[in-house]
Amino acid sequence: MTGRWVEAEFEAIFREHYGRIVRVIRRVLQRDSEAEEVCAEVFLRLYRTGPSVAADGLVGAWLYRTATRASIDALRANRRRGAESEGEGALENEDPSEGPLTLLLRQERIAEVRDVLAKLKVDKGQLLLLHHSGLTYQEIAQAMQVNVHSVGTKLARAEAEFSALYERHRRRQRKTQQLQTAKEGQ
Amino acid sequence: MKHADTGTLRAYLDGQLDPAKHAAIEHLKSCAVCEGELKTLRDYAARVRDGLDRLPELASADNSAMAWAAFQNKREDWMEEHQSQWSLGRRLSLAGAALATIAVVLVLTVAPVRAWAESLLGIFRVERFTVLEIDPSALKGNALQNNQFLNQTISRVLSDEVTVTQKPQEPQVVADAATASKAAGFQVQLLPGETPSSMLVRTGGGVQLKLNRDRIQSILDEAGRSDLQVPASVDGATVGVRVPAGVLAFYGNCGDLAARAAGHVPTSGAKLKQAPDATCISLTELPSPVVSAPQEIDPAQIAQVALQFLGMSANDAASFTQTVDWTSTLVLPVVRGKSTYEQVHVNGNDAALVRPVNGAESARFSLMWVDNGIIFNLNGTGDDTTAINLASQLQ
Repeated sequence: MTGRWVEAEFEAIFREHYGRIVRVIRRVLQRDSEAEEVCAEVFLRLYRTGPSVAADGLVGAWLYRTATRASIDALRANRRRGAESEGEGALENEDPSEGPLTLLLRQERIAEVRDVLAKLKVDKGQLLLLHHSGLTYQEIAQAMQVNVHSVGTKLARAEAEFSALYERHRRRQRKTQQLQTAKEGQ
Repeated sequence: MKHADTGTLRAYLDGQLDPAKHAAIEHLKSCAVCEGELKTLRDYAARVRDGLDRLPELASADNSAMAWAAFQNKREDWMEEHQSQWSLGRRLSLAGAALATIAVVLVLTVAPVRAWAESLLGIFRVERFTVLEIDPSALKGNALQNNQFLNQTISRVLSDEVTVTQKPQEPQVVADAATASKAAGFQVQLLPGETPSSMLVRTGGGVQLKLNRDRIQSILDEAGRSDLQVPASVDGATVGVRVPAGVLAFYGNCGDLAARAAGHVPTSGAKLKQAPDATCISLTELPSPVVSAPQEIDPAQIAQVALQFLGMSANDAASFTQTVDWTSTLVLPVVRGKSTYEQVHVNGNDAALVRPVNGAESARFSLMWVDNGIIFNLNGTGDDTTAINLASQLQ
């Protein structure tokens, strides 16, 4: 560990960034509780790393990088365990006005997106999440520790790959549904 | 002119193009090839946005205060684990034995304080204990708040002063009271008519520490309490602590608590995968730890320093010290505002009934008493009468 945190400073950082960071993580993970747990882990890692991270004013970038990585890792681990495949939607926020069929469809789409995120290379997934969270190219470059001039290219590649996987996924899904309908029709 | 590269086009879409690449924008306006690629990129970007937009946000509103409190707990767990050499506190701690429940309840919230409280206050043989209410505001602004730093100092100062004389072994799962009694070396008492869902024997342990006044003083100094002076008599003294084997019994549905106690589940992470429910009762029995120290050491004098370290004024510490027989009393610090406690009786022995203040948790009790040299700690859910009745039935 390098140096020590001043408790008040650490708390200020925690309070300033927690909301943003937990929201990014929650998009990736299915349960609020798991997102909060992973987020706490991220801050614990920051604590253990020491205040040198904050010294150059890049603590936000560090948190975003670590959080997106940790959440994708957790998503992949869940997928490996098959933890999320069952009852995927049961834990998603439910809108009472939503009919059961709409809800089911929405949950399927969510699962698809997460599947794609889990399949992408981690740094590509991170990049997409950071961009989607509204970070500027400069901020993304700091978070991912890459040259700011390469962000556009990397982003374009990640988006192309995401699109391809997503489309493939959707096609397969549609096929399965058609087969299902045909079977039921017989 | 050369066509714009993909990165430039993508940045252009986001309005993030480097102004130095202005010429590229001019080119775009009149280039069908670039226009085509731009459209493809726009489609990809839209698909990604459409996908990620579907992912739900956090349901709860911003609750950074709660998150901060939860984080602090997690951090404390982590610290406790990394305070490896100085695990005397944990060994000695009945709290350690009764695990998570009591950790919530017994409120020895500040890890280094715990090391102090239990190594320095829990002296000699425990025949009784007393509850010391700590005012958390007295700790505010005190360097005690900076746990990590103090922990490091304490472990650094103590690590080369501590010799493990008896290394604790892995806890051992036992089938019944007779086996438990045999393994632990004392007559184990259980709830009549109930079969424990799990029972463990934790082996004993022992350490010796050679006290070095200057080094202990340096802990106080680093904690910003140079005003407190460690008595000269401690210098060079060797203090031995022996914690006998103890027994832990779980009843009802205790989730992963028993597995965690047995060391099968890592203690890291604040949450248990399977949380205990209201039927869970845990019972710890531990014969009094024994502390041996040279005659010259006056425990009351050390206690006074430790109490001030915990935030008591010098006067209060002096008068509290007088009310306690330090050779036979274990002092349980309870932080005001986090736990409530009341003095009750179990089979004629003084007992402390501690509950978390926190609404949802407040149905949980932790009852602690000393009977015939054995320290008992019973944790469960229910009202005061339930707690005392259960405790009185042990046989």
